[in-house]
Amino acid sequence: MSQPVTTNPFIIMLINMTVVFAVLIALGFVINLIHYLDPTKPKAAKEEPKAEAPAPAPAPVAEPEPEVVDGVPQEVVAVIAAALMSYGYGPQQIRAVRPIERNSWKNSGRTFGVTQTVD
Amino acid sequence: MELLNAFVVSLQAVWANSGFASFTMGNGIMILVGLVLLYMAIAKEFEPLLLGPIAFGCILANFPNTGFLDEMGVMMAINFGIKFEIFPPLIFLGIGAMTDFGPLLARPSTLLLGAAAQIGVFIALVGAMLLGFTEKQAGAIGIIGGADGPTAIYLSSVLAPELLGAIAVAAYSYMSLVPLIQPPVMKLLTTQKEREVVMEQLRTVTRFERICFPIVAAILISLLLPPIASLLGMLMLGNLFRESGVMDRLSDTAQNSLCNIVTIFLATGTGMTMSADKFLTAQTLEIIFLGLVAFIFGTAGGVLFGKIMCRVSGWKVNPLIGSAGVSAVPMAARVSQVVGMKAKPGNYLLMHAMGPNVAGVIGTAVAAGTMLAMMK
Repeated sequence: MSQPVTTNPFIIMLINMTVVFAVLIALGFVINLIHYLDPTKPKAAKEEPKAEAPAPAPAPVAEPEPEVVDGVPQEVVAVIAAALMSYGYGPQQIRAVRPIERNSWKNSGRTFGVTQTVD
Repeated sequence: MELLNAFVVSLQAVWANSGFASFTMGNGIMILVGLVLLYMAIAKEFEPLLLGPIAFGCILANFPNTGFLDEMGVMMAINFGIKFEIFPPLIFLGIGAMTDFGPLLARPSTLLLGAAAQIGVFIALVGAMLLGFTEKQAGAIGIIGGADGPTAIYLSSVLAPELLGAIAVAAYSYMSLVPLIQPPVMKLLTTQKEREVVMEQLRTVTRFERICFPIVAAILISLLLPPIASLLGMLMLGNLFRESGVMDRLSDTAQNSLCNIVTIFLATGTGMTMSADKFLTAQTLEIIFLGLVAFIFGTAGGVLFGKIMCRVSGWKVNPLIGSAGVSAVPMAARVSQVVGMKAKPGNYLLMHAMGPNVAGVIGTAVAAGTMLAMMK
């Protein structure tokens, strides 16, 4: 093609943008088609209801309230619960809220152990 | 006396053949430009892996009487790699091996953002034609807005080889300035509420999808746009190396050793096109200006389309991911992440922005293919 189709810049822009959108939309259809035809997908689809099925089950079960040591304010419990929920943990998964024992020897031993593991 | 005469004549011959005798003011300016680019690459770390060899190539290109491009040698071989479009597809092989198409496969609608961001390419094309560039030159200049170095070099080496140096320098310079250029445009075009939109987690993409996509995409795009079959074909081949799980050695070579080797040749060769006679023109300044226009409009196009998707999806798409449609992988996606985090700490947009980001790579290549089909 030695002669340009058109020399009007706006028409060139229009044609090119249309082609870019058309090709990428076609690619989007192809991606959806691959997902639709995916033979490994039905297994996942079957697993999903299984995964969802147990989800409502715990609801009626009265989960034990987290054990809260006396002296820990309700606000602190609420903040800890909210922080854990933001990482995807439910309130039922919190077993206890209690201050860590201030045992310097034990803590320094733990720190040493973690450092050794990381190194 | 005869000895002295011979000595003087020899010295004169050495001087006449030296670079100093033919050194021009233009050469001096271009060597200074090369030194400034080297400073930006090393001290400021602006795309150092690319700008470094480009800058050094620029300095080398401005030594007179080297005969680099007159006789067959390593410099001419490097020049052939650019002239005959050998290096850009090889770089795309490496990019394909490095790219995770997962976010795109999980949310194919982000392809539209990659397409919308190409508006910058064509607005720069219109601007270039209005400034008096030919259609071919305008097409090559416009592709700077795609923020994709190899595609820019590929297209300009075919459509406007005389502008290759200026286009490559503009493309890589603006790519390194993406974190400075994009955020003001993104903030200007979005509201605080839009920037705070939290997107749902992406679905899991199966291995089957990851393997099928590069194969089917290569077939589809190569049949539609044969002029870019080498670019897109190599991109998808590299991705197949990565995703197949059985070609790890090839994937490793493509994304590391081969990509590094070709980058050295491509960037040095690009720098060597920056000789004073080709670079020191008013056109270069116009190209650098048009490149900036292309980047700004590309970012704006992606963000505005993101706003449309935000409304259509019922506030499930954060418009900030639209700016990543200008390619510049992964820097543009990181910019979306940073701006999103500033609006709402803890809102991680990086993986969502990778979808339009890799769609932008494909979109820029498609735009280049369409222009090649129309103008070549």
